[in-house]
Amino acid sequence: MLEDFYLYVRGASDVIPAGYQEPGMRAYRHLVLLGATQMIEAQFPQLREQLGESAWKTLIETFVRQSAWTSHFYGDLKDEFLAFLERESQR
Amino acid sequence: MAGLGYRAEMAAWDMSAVDADFFEVAPENWIRRDRSPLYALRDAGREIKLHGVSLSLGGQAPIQPAFLYALRELITDLGTQHYSDHLAASGDAHQLYDLFPIPFTSSEVTRISDRIKQVQDILGMPMAVENTTYYTNIGEMSEVEFLMQVVEQADCQILLDINNIAVNHKNHHASDLPQFLAQVDMQRVSYMHVAGHEFDERFGLYIDTHSQPVEPSTRHVALDLHQKHAIPILLEWDHDLPGLHDINQELACLKTSIST
Repeated sequence: MLEDFYLYVRGASDVIPAGYQEPGMRAYRHLVLLGATQMIEAQFPQLREQLGESAWKTLIETFVRQSAWTSHFYGDLKDEFLAFLERESQR
Repeated sequence: MAGLGYRAEMAAWDMSAVDADFFEVAPENWIRRDRSPLYALRDAGREIKLHGVSLSLGGQAPIQPAFLYALRELITDLGTQHYSDHLAASGDAHQLYDLFPIPFTSSEVTRISDRIKQVQDILGMPMAVENTTYYTNIGEMSEVEFLMQVVEQADCQILLDINNIAVNHKNHHASDLPQFLAQVDMQRVSYMHVAGHEFDERFGLYIDTHSQPVEPSTRHVALDLHQKHAIPILLEWDHDLPGLHDINQELACLKTSIST
């Protein structure tokens, strides 16, 4: 059940987990994307403009979906993002 | 007695002009950073309380001792007596850097209180847990039943967030403020949080944004508890931070006495 909760939050599934409400689930997914967007925009201010809105949104969504961060420090998301870009560019 | 959540934007302010008796910071922001702004506040006689955002008491990942050792160093360095984090998860086995609900169930009471005990053992001091907002959750208990069972089993303190109780009541029509507070053991409350929130039409939910003035009903309840139990109040304002003058006005409202 908890696994389903986080699959939805990450955007890896659109199935509302049993017992939870759809508006709240959408709010959590939105808040996670917002947090990742704000951090990456602060670290890489030109990236959004360079990519264009559609590719930028897809990139953030893909980044969040595959997330496996363990650091207590939000700023370390920058390094995770760079590692993610490296992996993506090698695909 | 009124405190204020310290924000990075305040580095440009004359902090001696801020009418706060104490401050609160997220330890995650200061473990690796130059702490001189915090030393200046402390040396001016204003205590720094630590309020964490990443402990993930509700998460599935093991508690990381290395993080707690770094936290312990910060606690000692700042000479503070208070550390809290949220009664929430930051993700499943990984960090998503937000606050997600812990199911209000008996098995989670046991699991979470064991994790709190583990943290307190490593830190060598009691901690406080904050009641959080949740936008959807499951479980057979009410939120306040869950909170009280956790803090009693873990023998920890409560950072009582009055705004979060009000937001949850608006969103889920659960316990209102008087009903919730009637079930809280005030002896366990270290201090209170007040803040503002906003309605978000996209979700049809009130979101705990900390971007608005405190609602009069929330302020009134906090002042009442302050008068009856001498529990300090702290103002959180994290987004769309107004100027020093407006913050002082809001703080002044938290220091007035009320007739009940």
